[in-house]
Amino acid sequence: MSTPGRQAVSGKPITIDGVTKIYASRSGAPVEALAPLSLDIAAGEFVVIVGPSGCGKSTLLYMLAGFSTPTAGSISVAGEPVSGPDIDRGMVFQSYALFPWLTVRGNVEFGLERKGIARARRREIAAEYLALVGLLDFADKHVSELSGGMKQRVAIARAFATEPSVIFMDEPFGALDALTRRFLQRELLHIWREHRKTVLFITHSVPEAIFLADRIVVMTARPGEVKSTIAVDLPHPRDLTADGFRDIERRIYADLDEELARSFAQEGRSEGG
Amino acid sequence: MQGVITASRRALPFLYAAIFIVIVWQVVVVATKAHPSVLPPPWDVARGFVALVASGEIFLHAGVSLARVASAWLLSAAIAIPLGLAMGRSRLLERLIDPVVELFRPISPLAWIPLAILWFGISEAGKVFIVFIGTFFPILLATVAGVKSIDPVLVHAGQVLGCTDRMSLFRKVVLPASLPSIVVGLRISFGTGWAAIIAAELVAARSGLGYLIANGMEILRADQVLVGMAVIGILGVGFDAFFRFLNRKLAWAE
Repeated sequence: MSTPGRQAVSGKPITIDGVTKIYASRSGAPVEALAPLSLDIAAGEFVVIVGPSGCGKSTLLYMLAGFSTPTAGSISVAGEPVSGPDIDRGMVFQSYALFPWLTVRGNVEFGLERKGIARARRREIAAEYLALVGLLDFADKHVSELSGGMKQRVAIARAFATEPSVIFMDEPFGALDALTRRFLQRELLHIWREHRKTVLFITHSVPEAIFLADRIVVMTARPGEVKSTIAVDLPHPRDLTADGFRDIERRIYADLDEELARSFAQEGRSEGG
Repeated sequence: MQGVITASRRALPFLYAAIFIVIVWQVVVVATKAHPSVLPPPWDVARGFVALVASGEIFLHAGVSLARVASAWLLSAAIAIPLGLAMGRSRLLERLIDPVVELFRPISPLAWIPLAILWFGISEAGKVFIVFIGTFFPILLATVAGVKSIDPVLVHAGQVLGCTDRMSLFRKVVLPASLPSIVVGLRISFGTGWAAIIAAELVAARSGLGYLIANGMEILRADQVLVGMAVIGILGVGFDAFFRFLNRKLAWAE
């Protein structure tokens, strides 16, 4: 692993074995969202998935979280098959998904309460994680009073606070401006290094993928499968202008360009036919 | 202090409206030389109002009407909110119940008054029944709409944060997320309930503001009728303001 953590790895490994997803389109015709996809993710690993739009990245993530079931194949975390949503598998959403009727603290304590942790201890844990994302002073604010970047920091604190074994992140910084994004990427790496959860992160941004990942998975156009995996062995904090960074960037763009061409060709065909 | 200022600023348009109505009213009385038993001048009605207040009669009637509305409205809420939550989450349940609702909804609660009298006579149960009909559908529809408008991502967030069974998801996510819409339904239905009880009391009651009006007509006391109407209007505005205030307390809805 490129970044030895201060703490022992507390994440769990994920096994994705021959997973496919076929759903009915509006016209009733079956759509193959994922071709048989297999991927092994090590405990505590930070894996980033990039791929063309509509390649099934989010479909895959939703199946991993347990919101939907694969048409074929299996998904397991530390050998246990995924059969539905569970507090041991956390998620950070692009649209933040904070509960607007709760305060910042209330949001972070939500999962802790569900885990049956006593009130006083909940407060301590929430304070610890809010401090980690620099929002302890905002604990009593309402969600509507926060900026987008702050909301996503709360969502990250909320996801890590329950200490899940794995955390799925669905384009979490996609709606943020470039500077906020840069800041949150560093913050995320900081938290991940402290807690060593297994993270599976989806993004459209190649630089973001290289900045964060231990390993990058490039997906093909629909039906999505693994096109290539690239280990990123650069030391943190990564320099976006370093040669090593640029090399990886070139390789990923080359793979993505091929897939984009394929996906545009497909769209042309389906529009024509 | 701030609150007093905003409250009085809110009340100002109503004061203007009242002054305008009184002026037009007085002009009509003078111009038509109407007999006081048909259209008494504002001053007579004000005097009648003071007399009804002094005797405490007005509080008795208003209290009776309010108690009927409140009890029926609470009963409606107790049934419509859980049913609406379930309908909003279950397509099967919605398909089953929605046609029934759609059939009953266009029937005004007033159309139920004859049946209510046949079934319950002029007992309290009849009045509660009418108001129940009038308040049930607004609450039910607002609750269903509230549940259906919940961002699915909030439900997903609730699930990965430990609300894995249906009951906890309802309690921790679905109910709080649809609460603003439910409160709107409660406010609207209190208004429809308030209108329905007056109508029910006009026809079949021995007390209440509706009875006060009907009685005024029978004994040719137009001033009593007008006092009753004024009190209905003022209380209606007051209840609505109270519910708007409650709504603002749930300010996260914006």
